[in-house]
Amino acid sequence: MMGTYFAGVDIGSTMTKVVILGEEPIASFIGPTGPEHRKLAHKVMEEALGSARLAFDDLDYVVATGYGRINVPFADKQVTEITCHAKGVHSLLPSAKTIIDIGGQDSKGIKIGNGKVLSFVMNDKCAAGTGRFLEVIADALGVPLSDLGTVGLAATAPAVISNTCTVFAEAEVISQLAGGESVPNLIAGVHMAIASRVYAMTAKLKIEADVVVTGGGAKNIGLVKALEDRLRMPVLVPAEPLLTGALGAALIGRGLYADAVISGEPVRRRAKRLGEATFFS
Amino acid sequence: MAEIKKPRALATQAAGKAGKFGRANLAATLKAKEEGKKVAYTYISNGQDEIIRAMDIVPAWGENFAGICGAKRDAEKFLQKAEADNFSRSICTYATCTIGFDMWREELGRIPEGTPWGGMGRPDMIIGSAQQLCDPRIKWPQATQHYLQDVPVWVGSMYYPPWDPHVDHREQEQLYVKFATEELRDLVRFCEKHTGRKMDWDRLSAIVDFTDRTWDLFIDTYELRKAHPTPMDTGDAMNTMVPLTFNLGTEEAYNFYKELYEELKGKIAEKKGVAGDEKYRLVWGAGLPSWFALGDFQYFNDKGAVFPAEVTYRNAEKVERLDLPKTNDPLEHIAWRWVRFWTHWYDRARHRPGSIPKVERIIEYLEDYDCMGVVFHSAFSCRSWHAGIVQQAEILKKVYGDVPMLIMEGDIVDISSYNEADTHHRIDAFVEALEASRKRRQ
Repeated sequence: MMGTYFAGVDIGSTMTKVVILGEEPIASFIGPTGPEHRKLAHKVMEEALGSARLAFDDLDYVVATGYGRINVPFADKQVTEITCHAKGVHSLLPSAKTIIDIGGQDSKGIKIGNGKVLSFVMNDKCAAGTGRFLEVIADALGVPLSDLGTVGLAATAPAVISNTCTVFAEAEVISQLAGGESVPNLIAGVHMAIASRVYAMTAKLKIEADVVVTGGGAKNIGLVKALEDRLRMPVLVPAEPLLTGALGAALIGRGLYADAVISGEPVRRRAKRLGEATFFS
Repeated sequence: MAEIKKPRALATQAAGKAGKFGRANLAATLKAKEEGKKVAYTYISNGQDEIIRAMDIVPAWGENFAGICGAKRDAEKFLQKAEADNFSRSICTYATCTIGFDMWREELGRIPEGTPWGGMGRPDMIIGSAQQLCDPRIKWPQATQHYLQDVPVWVGSMYYPPWDPHVDHREQEQLYVKFATEELRDLVRFCEKHTGRKMDWDRLSAIVDFTDRTWDLFIDTYELRKAHPTPMDTGDAMNTMVPLTFNLGTEEAYNFYKELYEELKGKIAEKKGVAGDEKYRLVWGAGLPSWFALGDFQYFNDKGAVFPAEVTYRNAEKVERLDLPKTNDPLEHIAWRWVRFWTHWYDRARHRPGSIPKVERIIEYLEDYDCMGVVFHSAFSCRSWHAGIVQQAEILKKVYGDVPMLIMEGDIVDISSYNEADTHHRIDAFVEALEASRKRRQ
C-alpha cells in the first residue's frame, strides 16, 4: 500500500488501544491490557493493522503512550498520555479547554490551549474517582459494568454515598442495599460520588468550557450526567472516548515525521520489530 | 525499553561532604555527656541557633534526625511506634518519627539497635520555637515532654508582621522586634538556669557577626548558580543546606560555603553543568522534599531539567539587603534579622496587585535565575507549608502569566505516600509540557 501511515498505541491499565492514521484515521482496535501487557501489545497492533490492511513495515512512525508505554518494543517514541489526550481531543473537538479523563485506575484533569497541555492534575493514589470504583460497585450489585449508566438513570432519589474510600464505599453500598435502597438509586449515588471527587481534583485547574470527558468513564451515560450536574455545564464526549490518547499519539508521530521531512533531516526511528517485549527490550 | 536506574549522583563534591555534618551533629549529642555538655532538642529556622552555640549547648535537631531516617528508608518503625500511642499519620512526620524514637529509647533505657546513624542523645532540655512557619512546633516539644517528664521545656514565639497588602508592615515591625528580643532574652535565662553558666555576651556577639558573614557567603555562593549551565541544582542543595540549617554560627559552616564557592567557580569556568544537556531551568517553588526519593532530582536532570534555585532551605539573605538598624544588643540584632528576612518581599508584593510575598520570591528567582517553570512538592503531613501551595500556584499564574508548573505529592518521611512510577509519570508529562512551552516561545 502506498502513502504514509502512523500508529498510536495507548496501553492503559485496563485497555490497550491502537489508532492507525493516514491522511485520516483508517483503523482502530481496542483490546484488554491484562496482566501480561508486555506480551500482548503487539497482538492488538496486529489486529489494527489487519483492519487497515497494512503490514507493520508500512508504518512510518509509531508512538506509544499510556502507563505501559515503556514496554512497547515496536514504538519509535514514548509520549505520556497527558500530552496525547490533549492532542487527540483537540483534533476532534478544537473548542476543548478542559479534559477530564476517567480511566481504569486513575483519573486526570488536563487544561489545554491549542492542543497543548497548559497544566494537569492526576488522581493516582486512590481508586475512588476512577473506573476501578465502578467495577467494584458493579460487582457488589451484580449489575454488568456496561449497564451501570442506564440503570443509574432510572434513579428516583440518588443515595448518598458518604465514604470516599472505594473499599468502605463498597461496604456502605452493600449495607444500604440490605436496608432496602434501590439499585438504581445506589448506582446514581455512586456516580455522584465519583463526579464529586473528579470535580474536586479538576477544579484545581480552574475548569473552563468546553469540557471534554474521555476514557472508559465517558462511556457511562449516568456518570457523564452526574459530572454535568456537578460541573453545572454540559460536557462533550468524543464518539469513541477510549481512543483519544492513541489518536493523539498517532498525530504526534505524524507531526514528528512531517517536521523531519520539511527540515530535510532523516526521521529518527528506533530499530524495531513487532513482537512481545523481552527482558532486553 | 526498560528504564535504566542510576544511583543518585551529586553534582558537587561539597554536597557529598554535607552528610559528615549530619553524622557529626548526631555523634556530638551522644558524646556530650562524656564532655560535660548539655544537649538540647531544638528545631530548625528558629532564630535561636546562636544563643545555643554561645551557651555551649549541643543541639539535637529532630527534623534532621527524622530526615535521615526518611532518606535511609528506615523511619517506618518510629512512625508506627508513635501511631501506636494514637499520634495520627497526618501529623508532621518529622515530629512523629522523632517522638516514636523517643518513646522507644525511653522504654529500652538506651538507643534502639539499628537506629540510623546512632540516633540522638537524650536531651537535658527542649527548646521549642512556635512561629508562623510551622504550627506543630508548638505542641511537638510538649508531646515529647510527655515521654521525657524530667526534661524542662521552653517554647518561645518568634513572630513577624503578617502579610496584609493594605498595611505597611514597618508600622508594626518595631513591636515584633521588641517581642522577639524579649523572647530571646527569656531563652538566655532558661539556658543559664539549666546549664548553670552565664551567657558570654562578647562571644554571642562574635557568633552573631559570624552568622551575618555566613549568610552573605551562602547567598554569594548560591548566586553562582545563575550561570548557564547551572553548576549545582536543588538535588545538591538539599545536602548543602545542612551547615546553614544545623551548624549556623560555626566556623565549619562558614568554611563549607567557602569551599563550595570555589568549587562552583571552577565548574562555571569549565562550563560543567548538572545535566548533560540543560534544556529546562526550573525553580523549586515550595515544599520540603521526599527525603526517601531524592533520586527524583536526578530523574529531572536526566531529562535536561535543572533547578538553579529553590525556596526551600534558602533561609538566608544578603544582610545588606535587609537594611538592619544598628544595635549593640546581639539579641536585638537577631530579632531584626529574623523579622526583616520574613518580610523583605512584602514591598514587592504590594507593588504587584494581587500578589503575595511567597509568590514574589518565586518570581524573583524565575527572573534572576532565568527559569521557565516551577515545581512544588506538597507533603501531606506538613500542613502549615503545603496547604498554601495550590494558592501560590494560582496567584503566580494570575499575576505573572502562564508559567508551567507541577505540584508533586508525597511526604517528607512517610514512604507509604510515595509511588515512584506515578511520580516519574508526572515528571514525564511535565517535561513534555515544558518542551511545548519552549517551542511556543521560540
